[in-house]
Amino acid sequence: MGIEWNRRRFISAAATVAGAAAVAPVLSACTGSPAQQTGANTESGLQAALPAYLPSTAVKADIPAVAGGPDVLTDAGFLSYPANLVTTVSGVPGRGGSYSAVTPLWGTVPPAGNSFYQAMNKALGVDLAMKPADGNNYNTIVPTMTAAKRLPDWIQLPAWWNPNFNMGGLVGTQLADLTPYLAGDKIKKYPNLAALPTGAWKAGAWGDKLYGIPSYSTGFSIAGMIQYRRDILDAKGITADQVRSADDLMNLGKELTDAKAGVWAFDDVWTYLYNSAFGAPYKWRVDNGKLVYKYETPEFLEALDWHYRLATSGYLHPDALAGDNANANTRFYAGKTLIGGGGPGQWNLADHQSGAAANPNYRRGAFPIFAADGKSAPHIPMNPLSTNVLSYLNAALKPEQIEELLSVANYLAAPFGSVEYSMVNYGVEGVHYTMVNGVPTATEEGKKDVQAATYPFLSSPQAVISNPGADVVTKDYAAWQAANVKALTKPVFWNMNVSMPLSMSTADAAQAVEDTVKDCYHGKKKVADVRAAIAGWKSGGGDRLTQWMTDNVLQKYGTGQ
Amino acid sequence: MNTAVTRRAAPPPRRNWRFRLRRDRSLLLMTVPAIVLVIAFNYVPLFGLVTAFQEYDPLVGVRYSEWVGLDQFSRLFDDPLFWGALKNTLYLSFVQLILFFPIPIALALLLNSVLSERLRNFIQSVVYLPHFFSWVLAVTIFQQMLGGAGALNQFLRSHDLGTWDVMTDPHTFALLVTSQAIWKEAGWGIIVFLAALAAINTEQYEAAAVDGAGRFRRMWHITLPGLRGVIMLMLVLRLGNALTVGFEQFLVQRDAVGHDAADVLDTFSFYYGIATGNYSYGAAAGLFKSVISLLLIWGANRLAHAFGEDGLYRK
Repeated sequence: MGIEWNRRRFISAAATVAGAAAVAPVLSACTGSPAQQTGANTESGLQAALPAYLPSTAVKADIPAVAGGPDVLTDAGFLSYPANLVTTVSGVPGRGGSYSAVTPLWGTVPPAGNSFYQAMNKALGVDLAMKPADGNNYNTIVPTMTAAKRLPDWIQLPAWWNPNFNMGGLVGTQLADLTPYLAGDKIKKYPNLAALPTGAWKAGAWGDKLYGIPSYSTGFSIAGMIQYRRDILDAKGITADQVRSADDLMNLGKELTDAKAGVWAFDDVWTYLYNSAFGAPYKWRVDNGKLVYKYETPEFLEALDWHYRLATSGYLHPDALAGDNANANTRFYAGKTLIGGGGPGQWNLADHQSGAAANPNYRRGAFPIFAADGKSAPHIPMNPLSTNVLSYLNAALKPEQIEELLSVANYLAAPFGSVEYSMVNYGVEGVHYTMVNGVPTATEEGKKDVQAATYPFLSSPQAVISNPGADVVTKDYAAWQAANVKALTKPVFWNMNVSMPLSMSTADAAQAVEDTVKDCYHGKKKVADVRAAIAGWKSGGGDRLTQWMTDNVLQKYGTGQ
Repeated sequence: MNTAVTRRAAPPPRRNWRFRLRRDRSLLLMTVPAIVLVIAFNYVPLFGLVTAFQEYDPLVGVRYSEWVGLDQFSRLFDDPLFWGALKNTLYLSFVQLILFFPIPIALALLLNSVLSERLRNFIQSVVYLPHFFSWVLAVTIFQQMLGGAGALNQFLRSHDLGTWDVMTDPHTFALLVTSQAIWKEAGWGIIVFLAALAAINTEQYEAAAVDGAGRFRRMWHITLPGLRGVIMLMLVLRLGNALTVGFEQFLVQRDAVGHDAADVLDTFSFYYGIATGNYSYGAAAGLFKSVISLLLIWGANRLAHAFGEDGLYRK
């Protein structure tokens, strides 16, 4: 008898706990559905909310930034690590408050309460509990916190997951409005934040109010470019400026592919060519006042046709055809592929070290932005948002708490070459790093505790090009940026945050078309198959999406250009 | 597993449930953790199925999401991609049933006939090992051997013979995934058959040998009948899982052969449901799969009983 009762009670208790854990976020989210808003900004309203821009003059760059069009600027280059660090924050920014912070981390999570966190808390004057979470399933962790209305005091929400997080519903209700603290000249209280470019603040603005604190902001925000093995092509007498059209690039495929020797000219390049060389929009374009999705532009189909030919001509590495992108860099370092697409983020010190380990002559280069026909002016659209890394403060914080955390953010955003930057990125000298030949080099403790990107995901200065110990990388990449800065253009809806209803975001994701597009540039489906998939997409929601965007965004808020 | 022996013993008279409860107290207590796990992770999540009848929005929650009735299902049945995924699933399941299912049985019989225990243990370890590899690793090994830049094709190329990139050929994909599955899982699958073989009374073999039965007669009249119950059980389970042909294996190779060939019901739910925030659509596809699977396992169990076997439980 007693046993049965105990067993039942145990099971039912355990089931209640498990069930409660599963249902709790759902229940507590039931305080009513937020009204559907687009979250877009108006031009005049946003102008009043944006902070002033006061570029930092604290540290002089070896390679100064070059301006392109409006809001376009190359990253400044630094050849050596500055020997004399400047101080940009006097005293400690905090007043002893206790806060929690959650950031995504792609790497090994450092131990809690480690010596670096302690040193940072001392420097910041707050008790900031850092809780980095696995970046690979971050998009599934955050909705449980927002549904339970239990966000930490400070959280980083990558913008590529905005639709998953329903940002339009979170801003103002769970995420704090920073406009009263930062708008216009108010930001002068936080000089390092004031040195962040305006475009980056726009990326965190919703409905004419500031919410996000940008990290890794840059005036040169592009998805990527076509990169190549400069050491190998130089040896063959091929220089980057010989590639002036899509045909030139295709001819290189024939010249460089030697399948018997296990060398293929190309890895995947689709993502970085269709909207630069071929001129298809990233997503939207306005033709004669009418909004057009990329699938409906002839340029998109031309780009597909070229890539289909590339794949079926046998110039694309078979492993790339098999969808193995994870090993693309390994193939590149080994010289099994010579040309590949890539983001600017992979042209750095770590890449140089990995490449040089495989071949001491290793040198990465990039072709200039060119037009497919070889005649039109070259152009490349900037990313839809100036930065994808934005952190937010909890709406439940008191005004003085928000001010304290903004002071902390100001410390974290100290520019390259400052005492604060060195602290945030390398830790304490002698404990977490030592200077080796003028280059800060992590100790074992530093590798464990500091090297995981934690604090920079909350706030960080404008990007610079710095690869201490590999000047060739800094010089090459800075020169490439300067040579191509004029080609950057603003895409339609640049830096405009739009939150759309679920049925619209499904049409926007267009999974069925994207799958067929991938099959096409891998040579398995013809362009005609993609056309058919596009026709199905149009009738199955694509046309409704275009109409919705026209009515709710284009006509009300303009193009953001 | 010792079905042949236990069936001969007459079932003991059923006592009242209080007596049995007291008698089996320790055994029942030992099952509690497993039951709790099953309830927490298999039964409680069943409530989530309600989202298949909604336009579920995670931020609004289950209770306040819009109720759309059977809309998700009517969209699903209008979706050619869904029917393509179902067709692929059934086709792959059929191919695997024909080509994969007999292999662990044959392997177990072969292994059972190896007399040297050391050799048997060695072979057993070698065929078990791939089971512990992830699908990513298994597919990478296949890519290194059979891919367009792999060992086989580089050999053919260096001898000026034609190449065949089997890893990206949608037409032979069913054979490819089945051979991958055999390489990875067949060794693991023999465990249950080896256990059944060990349960066969060796005196029967001795008696048969004395009566002059040869190797094959002994296998036909003693070994296979001894395995029949287990084979039927495995077959019933296999049929119940006919719509579950794997997930990671197809996820990893989807880009290689294209979604037309590689999408099965599970990857369909993932790509067209979860990955695009369309949770309700994915839930509808998942619910459809579960209902069909339930019917299949019920039918297969009835069939097993009709053949006089135990199936999932004794009638």
